[in-house]
Amino acid sequence: MNSPPDPVPLAELQSRFAAALRAAGVESGKAVAALADCIVDDGLAPVSRVQVYRNNARATFEGALERTYPVLRQRLGAERFRSLSQAYRAEHPSRSGDLHWVGAALPSWLEARVAGGPEAWLADLARLEWACEAALVAGRQPPLAAQALAGVPPDELAETGLALQPCVRTVSSAHPVWSAWRQGQTAASQEPSDPPLGPQHVVVACPDDGLVLHSIPEEQFRFVVALQNGVPLAAALACAGIEADRLPGLLAWLFAEGLVTALRAPAADRVSEGPL
Amino acid sequence: MGDAAAVRFPCGPIPARAGIGLRSMHHDAVVEALPPVGWLEVHTENYFHDGGPHLRALERARERYPISLHGVGLGLGSVAPLDRAHLERVKRAVRRFEPALVSEHACWGRTADEHFNDLLPLPYTEEAVEHLAGRVREVQDVLGRQILIENLSSYFAYSASRLTEWDFLAAVVERSGCALLLDINNLYVNAVNLGLDARRFIASVPRAAVQEIHLAGHRRNRVGARDLLIDDHGSAVCQEVWALYEFAIARLGAVPTLIEWDTDVPALDVLLAEALEADRRRKRILELAA
Repeated sequence: MNSPPDPVPLAELQSRFAAALRAAGVESGKAVAALADCIVDDGLAPVSRVQVYRNNARATFEGALERTYPVLRQRLGAERFRSLSQAYRAEHPSRSGDLHWVGAALPSWLEARVAGGPEAWLADLARLEWACEAALVAGRQPPLAAQALAGVPPDELAETGLALQPCVRTVSSAHPVWSAWRQGQTAASQEPSDPPLGPQHVVVACPDDGLVLHSIPEEQFRFVVALQNGVPLAAALACAGIEADRLPGLLAWLFAEGLVTALRAPAADRVSEGPL
Repeated sequence: MGDAAAVRFPCGPIPARAGIGLRSMHHDAVVEALPPVGWLEVHTENYFHDGGPHLRALERARERYPISLHGVGLGLGSVAPLDRAHLERVKRAVRRFEPALVSEHACWGRTADEHFNDLLPLPYTEEAVEHLAGRVREVQDVLGRQILIENLSSYFAYSASRLTEWDFLAAVVERSGCALLLDINNLYVNAVNLGLDARRFIASVPRAAVQEIHLAGHRRNRVGARDLLIDDHGSAVCQEVWALYEFAIARLGAVPTLIEWDTDVPALDVLLAEALEADRRRKRILELAA
């Protein structure tokens, strides 16, 4: 009686399996057959069995993208979103055991495909949805009370900076992406309509009870971005082209929304959580 | 590692009764209603992050329930080097939530340049035993504790396999000091898909190593003239799996048992009813045995 042949080494099996999961188009038949050669044939075609794993790989990846980009999927429709997912996966396969990150490169990938066309705004919608996803899992620190500003000497206020919540994300678009996003939250069962024209600038944050998206004027948006970049208050106003007399209102909004976590002392990197 | 008795549970062990898989849609209901369920299990990777509502919800739930962290992303049997960054995140989650149990799968899932985010089967060979046991030891060394390894559902068998699945797992347990998470639904899926003798499996695994049981539903696909079961965790536990569960309890005694439901997740009450059913069956079998 003959002894069974030596088993195929583990590395070779995994190499064939990986190729069968990745392969697309005309290459897939060959790759699947190479793995099928390593499978027990008990009457159900090995190729059919391999196909289960190929389907799982595709569906798992697409499902992860769908959870991150529900409004984009709604806008594209299920079939186009599936095609997009497959094309994106071919160029940006998952590299992590944490599926949360598979969609990180989608906005820039999509931008390269829709730039200059009538669907250019979809890349910005994706950017907004990714900002929501990032805000949802970012850290959050105790918000600083506005009273902390009372301790800042008046002559130091202009050079004082504000540390914003780690969960704050900013998205600026020449298109009305905030409106499209909002429509996507409330009208999932309705046929999506094109949002009205016009740029929108969005600050995304995630307080304890979930996401908050603020659509704000462009100059206010630039002010927030400058603060986020560590620019002191006076310089942030200048970056945004905002007159100094609007500062109290802007500060009131930032503190009321719990977006400020600390004051940054002038001319130093020291961060204080209380009055300076 | 290797000494199961050296494992310490920061808040006592998981009770030997039924728990449920906690999914995000039930966070609020669980932390507000505090349903009478023995424990909770979550997918470790869903709580890797720095903050956010989901993390805070689990922190609140953790104040009231023992929990188990169940990993799906390490791909322990992969030939590619162990993903140390992923493992560090597991370690951080373990520190943060102080779970009573930490588990992973007897699978592979990644190459050097791609993660398939699936639980892919290993051949049951001496080479795979040695490789998987080595990886389990590495993980246990980093985490400083014993982990549980779950048996997989599979859609094919390798012609390279030379061991039975239960001998394969027993060898991994022996060489790594890990424990076992016995997924009864996976046994049934493999019985239908591959002709596995599920009762012989249960009768053969090292009894003392089994520290947790999973129960779940599956989907039945017709492929030609054959049924192929898909382990989708998307329906109630079927009668065949309940019968195998009773057989397992009769042999293994009281083991913490989880109701897993990951797709088409129903209302919390449905999960709780399944957990109650598991408790009822466990009690009945143990009473009969007594």
